[in-house]
Amino acid sequence: MGQTAGPATKSTRTRAPRKPKKSQLPFALLATALVIVFGFYLNYYNDKMVVYLLFGISFGVILQRSRFCFTASMRDPCITGSTSVTRAVLIACSLATIGFTAIKYSAHMKGETIPGMENVGQISLALAIGAVLFGIGMVIAGGCASGTLMRVGEGFTMQMISLFFFVLGSLWGAHDMGWWRAHVIKDAPAVFLPDVFGWLGALLVQSLIILLLYIASVKWQEKKMGSAE
Amino acid sequence: MAEFTLDCLGEACPVPLMRTEKKMAELSVGDVLVVSIDHSCAMKNVPEWARKQGHNVEIEEIDDGEWEVVIEKTK
Repeated sequence: MGQTAGPATKSTRTRAPRKPKKSQLPFALLATALVIVFGFYLNYYNDKMVVYLLFGISFGVILQRSRFCFTASMRDPCITGSTSVTRAVLIACSLATIGFTAIKYSAHMKGETIPGMENVGQISLALAIGAVLFGIGMVIAGGCASGTLMRVGEGFTMQMISLFFFVLGSLWGAHDMGWWRAHVIKDAPAVFLPDVFGWLGALLVQSLIILLLYIASVKWQEKKMGSAE
Repeated sequence: MAEFTLDCLGEACPVPLMRTEKKMAELSVGDVLVVSIDHSCAMKNVPEWARKQGHNVEIEEIDDGEWEVVIEKTK
């Protein structure tokens, strides 16, 4: 952290008095109660749904409190040269790599079907074009998917418009995805790294890539801002 | 030692940061810029940017989800 000393003029600044706002505590308690009731309701149907709900809520709370922003991780290096969020995302990716390898490898060792294999997507030019389009969209909207959801929860009205079009676009994409798979990307390869490098090799290769990106982001900030702090 | 204000209420990331960056370039050393922000992500990256530039920064939460970032230009 940098200097924390406040500007000298602070004490002389005045602001028009505002009427005091009502406490939001009752709303928070009501929301908590509703979540618990909803949990019991979900449990009635399927005992896994409560776990999903808990994970979803924890994820939202962590995102909101940490102001973890995937958009900023890609955007801030271009605007200001700051890569602190980029490095946070890289650390998160490396932790996720270890976690997912553990889950998938243990399933593989037990001879079970490896979970999540349907998400090993095909690599094609369409993927690169789609990623660039998503990038443009998220910078204009001021948030990626998780950031938009989190800020709608915070009550940021402008991002509710983003959410509306985010849902619209997702539905459109889901509707047309079958056509794209059947006609455009049918020959594109789907790479699962452990198939190529082996389990340990895949872990090492991915960690090495993340490490190189981390070093690059430290160097980038040193060059752009003069410090890696 | 003038004081300037920048109203970024309702603006999403990264607009407040870019406007602050531009405005700070116009100020002279010792001037103070007060940026009004109601976007939680901007509340993080505007002070962070200013501190990395070496300016003095103070954040005040003036209302639920509404902040004023006070930046004193030091160089």
